Amino acid sequence: MTQLTHTDPGGTPNRSLVHEDWDALTFKVHRSAYRSPALFQQETSRIWGHTWLYLGHETEIPNPGDFKSRTLGGRPLIFCRDSSGKIQVFFNACTHRGTILCRHNEGNTKFFQCFYHAWAFSNSGELAALPGDEAYADVPGFKERHRLRSVPRVDSHEGFVFISFDPDVPDLLTHLGEAAHYMSLTAKIGPQGMQTVPGVQLYSVKGNWKLAVENAMDGYHFAPTHNTFVGYLRETGFAVTDDDQYAYDLGDGHGLLILTGHNGRIGMVWEPRFGPEEKERIAAKRQEMEQRLGKELAAEVADASRILFVFPNLLLFDLEALTIRQIEPVEAGRTDVRAWQFVETGEPDEVRALRIKTMVSFVGPGGLATPDDIEAYEAVQRGIEATADSADPAWDWSDMSRGMANEKQGNQGRSIDEGAMRSFWRQWSRRVEGDGTPGA
Amino acid sequence: MGRRTVTRAEAEDFLYREAMLLDEWRLDEWLALFEEGGRMEVTTTDWNGWDSSSAGAFMCDDHDLLKARVKRLKSRKAHAENPHSRTHRMISNVIILEQGDETVWVAANFIIHRYRDNQAFSYVGRYEHVLLVDDGLRFRLRRSIPTMETMAPGARLSFIL
Repeated sequence: MTQLTHTDPGGTPNRSLVHEDWDALTFKVHRSAYRSPALFQQETSRIWGHTWLYLGHETEIPNPGDFKSRTLGGRPLIFCRDSSGKIQVFFNACTHRGTILCRHNEGNTKFFQCFYHAWAFSNSGELAALPGDEAYADVPGFKERHRLRSVPRVDSHEGFVFISFDPDVPDLLTHLGEAAHYMSLTAKIGPQGMQTVPGVQLYSVKGNWKLAVENAMDGYHFAPTHNTFVGYLRETGFAVTDDDQYAYDLGDGHGLLILTGHNGRIGMVWEPRFGPEEKERIAAKRQEMEQRLGKELAAEVADASRILFVFPNLLLFDLEALTIRQIEPVEAGRTDVRAWQFVETGEPDEVRALRIKTMVSFVGPGGLATPDDIEAYEAVQRGIEATADSADPAWDWSDMSRGMANEKQGNQGRSIDEGAMRSFWRQWSRRVEGDGTPGA
Repeated sequence: MGRRTVTRAEAEDFLYREAMLLDEWRLDEWLALFEEGGRMEVTTTDWNGWDSSSAGAFMCDDHDLLKARVKRLKSRKAHAENPHSRTHRMISNVIILEQGDETVWVAANFIIHRYRDNQAFSYVGRYEHVLLVDDGLRFRLRRSIPTMETMAPGARLSFIL
């Protein structure tokens, strides 16, 4: 356990913004961590520049030639499947003069042609056409030197594609650590696999990206913040409980909440609002899952809901249904969010419809719950201006000590405590305030 | 019931009155504009004409969810809308796209200005509604299609688009 015991955060240039004290049982985060543009630049470089980042899911580009353009860590990228079927990730900038090469959000193509001087690149990155090439010396060599720039590292786990802008990162499975297992559980839900569908929720919140992470790892807010959603569930005949729900530190900043009895799970745990047909289907699906996975693994996949955070930008909500949420920091007080519905491949139309209706009613900026989370991030972002450079520097800290006494006794942290947030902040501090090396 | 012709003026009156009810937060009266079983959808910004039951959406409310949404928005515990946003809706370019035996298909453009926390947000888009024609008009499917490429910073959908 890393113990950060600095006591003078205001004084020295190397002050820590994360205070952890296991004698006093306090854990505090300095509010400049959400506000400071300088710190935001440091995060962009030390986190986004040097670790694996979630880019997208393989099923977003199922066919050769399919592409999506997507900005990650502030860098415009092309996420595509080349004509041979291989996943490629290029910097979306012409190697000639830096023009955005692909100006479409999505599509299918064999070639990406820059409109400016008509240089054309194959979907595997070769400079295929160079108009007026007689004016260049050593055309084959010139073309080879000007192939599309690939992101240094690309790898995937269970169809989740990650990239790194730093070539010298440990391999993806090392980075994912224990989180890989929980991604694998989710991937086992459907007998024919899992996939994203079109209809991506693109929105942006006026809050620091870390507030979005905290919120997802924070079970304490659920009852008060989502009072109206809990009320709606009660009226449908389902009582939400916080009992038997735990938070897990998966290492390297990855976190997990396992929520038993928190909500139904389409295909796996019945809830009245799913309707009687779904009850029968769940019984049949459990048999199928037990045959395919064995009884124990089927139960692990099916029985509990999970919210998985993969440091620094992936949230996998495996609740009533599934949503992949990607966090893209834009500036200290602004975060872009992208969310995909993640569904069972080949499921019946009526189940797909139930899944989307149910998930969208909870998660997303138009749901019955997420808008109140967004209100929370934005209200924090506005509120923390109040104590900046305040008369008493002690006022400018946020408290995340809930559950430390329980944790010190060696008990598993509850989802309604703040342990998962603490493990996130420890990793953040190692990355941003330490020497930047992974796991340092 | 019988078939009767719905004029653009009648459709406009219906849409203008709806906009007034929403801007005045008269949500029970607004809910009464739906037929029993009426639904509401808000498509995502990458929408390409697909069926809401096969793809993601911002909102995809059946009638029960619609009632739950109204109940929520009337609660002081709907934090994202307490205090309520001020909204100001402009509806234009109303067109009767097609009239069937029971229903009429109406399209319109909208700009909704929303104000809260000393910030201003604009939501621009198009409606494509299926309305039941009886003595008056009622929503069978109320569909909003945002024109924006993404929801702008702070522009959540905590209200009725």
